[in-house]
Amino acid sequence: MPLETRGLYKTLGDFHLRDVNLTIKDSEYFIILGPSGAGKSILLETIAGIHSPDSGRIILDGTDITSWPARLRNIGMVYQDYMLFPHMNVEKNIGFGLKQLGRPSYEIEKATADIADLLGITHLLSRRPDTLSGGEQQRVAIARALVIKPRILLLDEPLSALDAITRRKMRNELAGIPSLTGVSVIHITHHVEDLISLGHRSAVMDGGTIVQTGKPDEIFSNPRTPFVAAFTGMENLFTGIAKDSHEGRIVQVGPVKIHAITRYNGQVQCGIRSEDIIFSREPLKSSARNVLKATVMKIRLMGSLAWVVVDCGITLTGVLTIKSMYDLKIDEGDTVFITFKASAVMVFPDGQNRDKTEDTETG
Amino acid sequence: MQNLKACTGSWFKSLLVLLSGVLILFFCLVFGGLVLWPDPQSLVSALTSEEILFSIQLSLFTAVTSTLLCATVALPVAYALSRYTFPAKEFMGLVISLPLSLPPLVAGIALLIFFGPSFFGDLLRLIGVDIVYTTAAIIVAQFFVNVPYLIRVMRSAFDSVHPRYEHVARTLGASEPAVFFQVSLPMSRQALLAGLTITWSKAMGEFGAVLMLAGATRMKTETLPIALFLNLSTGDLDFAIASATILLAISVGTLLVFEYWFGSKRMV
Repeated sequence: MPLETRGLYKTLGDFHLRDVNLTIKDSEYFIILGPSGAGKSILLETIAGIHSPDSGRIILDGTDITSWPARLRNIGMVYQDYMLFPHMNVEKNIGFGLKQLGRPSYEIEKATADIADLLGITHLLSRRPDTLSGGEQQRVAIARALVIKPRILLLDEPLSALDAITRRKMRNELAGIPSLTGVSVIHITHHVEDLISLGHRSAVMDGGTIVQTGKPDEIFSNPRTPFVAAFTGMENLFTGIAKDSHEGRIVQVGPVKIHAITRYNGQVQCGIRSEDIIFSREPLKSSARNVLKATVMKIRLMGSLAWVVVDCGITLTGVLTIKSMYDLKIDEGDTVFITFKASAVMVFPDGQNRDKTEDTETG
Repeated sequence: MQNLKACTGSWFKSLLVLLSGVLILFFCLVFGGLVLWPDPQSLVSALTSEEILFSIQLSLFTAVTSTLLCATVALPVAYALSRYTFPAKEFMGLVISLPLSLPPLVAGIALLIFFGPSFFGDLLRLIGVDIVYTTAAIIVAQFFVNVPYLIRVMRSAFDSVHPRYEHVARTLGASEPAVFFQVSLPMSRQALLAGLTITWSKAMGEFGAVLMLAGATRMKTETLPIALFLNLSTGDLDFAIASATILLAISVGTLLVFEYWFGSKRMV
């Protein structure tokens, strides 16, 4: 268990950390997902030792390092805009950490050459940072952090400043760092795609606190709060009243009764993923409990997918492939049927009654 | 109508450009007239006279010394003001900037009282230090007037170095002095060179504060501006103009250095 934070609190200007508890395992790629302003950067900087927490503890390999200065922690940091020292060439940038440790120059040269080789930047060693592309700068920044063999590597939005192609490529390279070097990586991001393609485990952060921790697919399939659901791309979120009826458990959303599996009563929020909504021309005969007649209001085409906004008393967004949309001959203004399972409806308790019932909910 | 508008526009532009031209012409006539006033032979002999050579040497020595002193003090103070929060920081910033807006004469007389008849001056004389009317006084006066300026320049230079560079350096094992000497200071090198150039040039030309604290003694505390003042009051116009010419040349030189080395990043 290399890194653990226990009950971290920190206030810095408008940003806050509130009771942050995290455990990072050996050689793990851990993603922290959250919107801008959630306190992700402060969390990283507190772990790195740039800020000291107002309260709480940071434990690295069983040692309490809360009061240690950054330079003794052996935790590497790579910022979104890399922060390569502009007055040094790439080789000097990478060797900076070993120079601070007072290593002899032949050793620095060799270690720099090795890490440059590993990251494929040997040809850049004599260049100055301002002549490098974004992807190259990032590799240099990672090399600079890895050359001192840190226990943990912290990555602050490492892919946000890159173009789409470089981002995809770097994502693969980043994913290889733990297995290649044995270093655990904490990567903060506001891009859901990073979570899908990179994380072993992950945490979702909002308002300075961790709202959910788990494997990426758990977070997708079983978001614990409406915020996590919305942030992981759930398009359809409603407020309704959960109750019993002669047809079983339902959530009344405006004029529409939605069958759902839930133990909550009273005011709730519920969400339906767009991909769980099935479109048809005639009512489907299936075990799915929710079949609604709807009018197509708007169709957005994106790549090979069609996002279809329908009105069935409430506004829902579904998604299907462009091919099946043409097969079904769906057009704006048409009347269609939409079908989704009761188990596809995720129900979250509303703020007021969350505490009482949270533990019993399974979605 | 459109034609008239275009016509009005160009008429207005011409007037502004003409006005600028007249001003430039006036400047050139004034400065050119100064240099060309004495006949060249007497200007050269004044420039090579013992008195002017002494002034040049004294000015160079005091200005270089006071500039180095300024750097020694301004760098740490500017870094502290830029990076750290501590009690009364705002107030300190104000006090440090005060000599900037103060007439140098006032700074000079304040220094004279401080090092002269005040308790502190008595104390210094007790241990055998009496700087009033000496070369040391010239250096102290130049330092006092110029150090706030250099602090300003360096503070804004340090402010423009993103703290994240320093954060990264710390995570890479750099101690606080290492962060300063290997990251913050080299990243502010441009501003430092520019600031030192201007500080030196201002020190070469400092008159009011030097006059008050060091006096105007021929061949003793006679820097170039003092030489100008002394020779003008005794009617030796050639000598006065000789030192003025040198000061003018230094200003032109500084300006050129500034425009061509640091032209893209004007910070003062």
